[in-house]
Amino acid sequence: MSTPATERFPGFRIMNVLRSRAFLTVAIVAAVWVIAGLLKPGFGAYGHLRYLLELAAVIGIVAIGQTLVVIAGGIDLSVGAIVTVSAVGVPLASFAGDTSGIGAIAIVLAAATGIGFLNGLGVAFLRVHPMIMTLAMATFLQGVLILIAGGTAISAGSPVLSWLGNARPIGIPAGVVLWIFAAAAALLLMHTTPFGARVYALGANPLAAALSGINTRATTIAVYAICGFFAGLAGVLVLGMNGQGYVGIGDPYLLASIAAVVLGGTSILGGSGTYAGTIPGAVLLVTITALITVVNASPGWRSILFGSLILVLLLFSGREAARR
Amino acid sequence: MSTPSAVAQRSLYWPVQWSRNRGLFGLFVVVVGFLLLYAYLFPGFLSVSGVAKFTQSWFPLALVAMAQAILMLTGGISLAIGPLVSLGAVVAATTMTGPPGALGGIAAVALTGLGIGAVSGVIVVRLRLPAIVVTLAAAFIIGGVALLILPRPGGAIPLWFSELLAGNMPVALGVLVVIALLWKVYLATPLGLSLYAAGENPVGAYRSGVPVDAARIVAYAISGLLCTLAGLFVAAQTGSGDPVIGNAFTLNSIAAAVLGGVGFLGGRGTMRGALAGSLLLSLMISVMFFLGFSPVAQYVAQGLIIIGAVALPEIRRWRTVV
Repeated sequence: MSTPATERFPGFRIMNVLRSRAFLTVAIVAAVWVIAGLLKPGFGAYGHLRYLLELAAVIGIVAIGQTLVVIAGGIDLSVGAIVTVSAVGVPLASFAGDTSGIGAIAIVLAAATGIGFLNGLGVAFLRVHPMIMTLAMATFLQGVLILIAGGTAISAGSPVLSWLGNARPIGIPAGVVLWIFAAAAALLLMHTTPFGARVYALGANPLAAALSGINTRATTIAVYAICGFFAGLAGVLVLGMNGQGYVGIGDPYLLASIAAVVLGGTSILGGSGTYAGTIPGAVLLVTITALITVVNASPGWRSILFGSLILVLLLFSGREAARR
Repeated sequence: MSTPSAVAQRSLYWPVQWSRNRGLFGLFVVVVGFLLLYAYLFPGFLSVSGVAKFTQSWFPLALVAMAQAILMLTGGISLAIGPLVSLGAVVAATTMTGPPGALGGIAAVALTGLGIGAVSGVIVVRLRLPAIVVTLAAAFIIGGVALLILPRPGGAIPLWFSELLAGNMPVALGVLVVIALLWKVYLATPLGLSLYAAGENPVGAYRSGVPVDAARIVAYAISGLLCTLAGLFVAAQTGSGDPVIGNAFTLNSIAAAVLGGVGFLGGRGTMRGALAGSLLLSLMISVMFFLGFSPVAQYVAQGLIIIGAVALPEIRRWRTVV
């Protein structure tokens, strides 16, 4: 394609940025942080905000893949299971001679990508609906996990993992550093490469995309494989932060990743949205959770508050989507 | 719409019904096969109490499969099925032995389901928000309410009620038949007729004067009712309420409906298919249990069978193409 990038994507204008959903989400996060910081001493402390970002990093990394899949018109309900597979798998995959632990991580990331690849195969070739395909994959993985790990927690202590969990290069937690790099890669992939353009085209109208010469099957498979990779990466990070992996450790990240994507303004119907919105979406989600923990409510109330807040935030974004 | 004459109706009714079975024959054959296998593995099946026990294990799944299918027919979906089942069980366990009495408790369960279903329907349909995200948020809220009402398993169900529904007589099967007949009646009402039209082609249906929004909101209300009734039954089975007992039903309801040939995009599928799908899922779990599969192997097999069943038509298409 000879069209310059500036024509394929709208030009950069300040007003567009201010009006975008991504910016709206950032504004909401900023408002919530300021208000909470004023009302609750200690909330705005640097250490606490840094901790929030660290928690958001895991959701944010899982949500990279989820954003891509949702933009491509699908949904991945197996990310929680893949996070668990990776968090449990790294200690199991460690072998003698691999002192730094990078080998085990590479094996697990390859496996996670392979799981995503299988999801993509099912969706693209067997034409199984993404929800069913990934759901069945999650069920399948759950069985396999219980088989290989049982009910016990598995500890891991390789140097790379403890660096991920504890190191703070220039004061920023390693997880957040990882997130920054992953996010930059994701944004470049989505907005500057032909592959990114294909993903948007696929989500907006699969038939039109196929007719204009896009290999929809290959694109679909690639999207799910990338999603598997990032879920696996998040699993490694969770393991580093937690020190041990157990069955069920990844479960919360499934709904969190979908919520972050939707709060960030990506249409669940596919074809529109950006990871730039998902980033503040993930931070917002963690902030909400932290606030709910601060008010010290019972689990029931916490769950109700969380659901209601998502619903209210959805009203913000939903209206805008309807106007388009 | 023109009203066909009675003669034309009679001559068309059965061919139409017959054509709606197309694509389901494979499923029906597999279900019958599994039923025979089950009867072989568990000879007690061929008795009144055997049938009663089996339908009791199937009943809640059948109800939630219907609840999910009715939404999928309108082009919606619910991720709040499981929490609603839990809420139904919790409401039943806290009211039936309390001041409202058994009938009051059942009414409370039904009203809870109808009310929550209608509210989520209004939010999805009127505010035009994506169903999957709204029901995801609703799942948190409903699950939270269930936890507030009953923080830990408890409460009680009158013994006679448990005996009636989950005893040795196949009352549950009778209830299921009644619900299936009611579904037939509902499909004959204007709103029921609108259901398929609203799911298949909302814009076209709207322009032909079909009450699209009303049909979809009522579908959500009915779906909610079916879920809490499933919860009522689960409570009767276990004799108490548990705020998280229904969680597995969300995924299983989708799996059952999809196994039964109900499409995600609306307007495609039949309730008999969804019921057969739920029956197949329930039979699969029972048969694997009798064959001594470990729970782990059950997970693995379940995942594989669901993908296989859904992918089968596509694989068959390949063979004709190649």
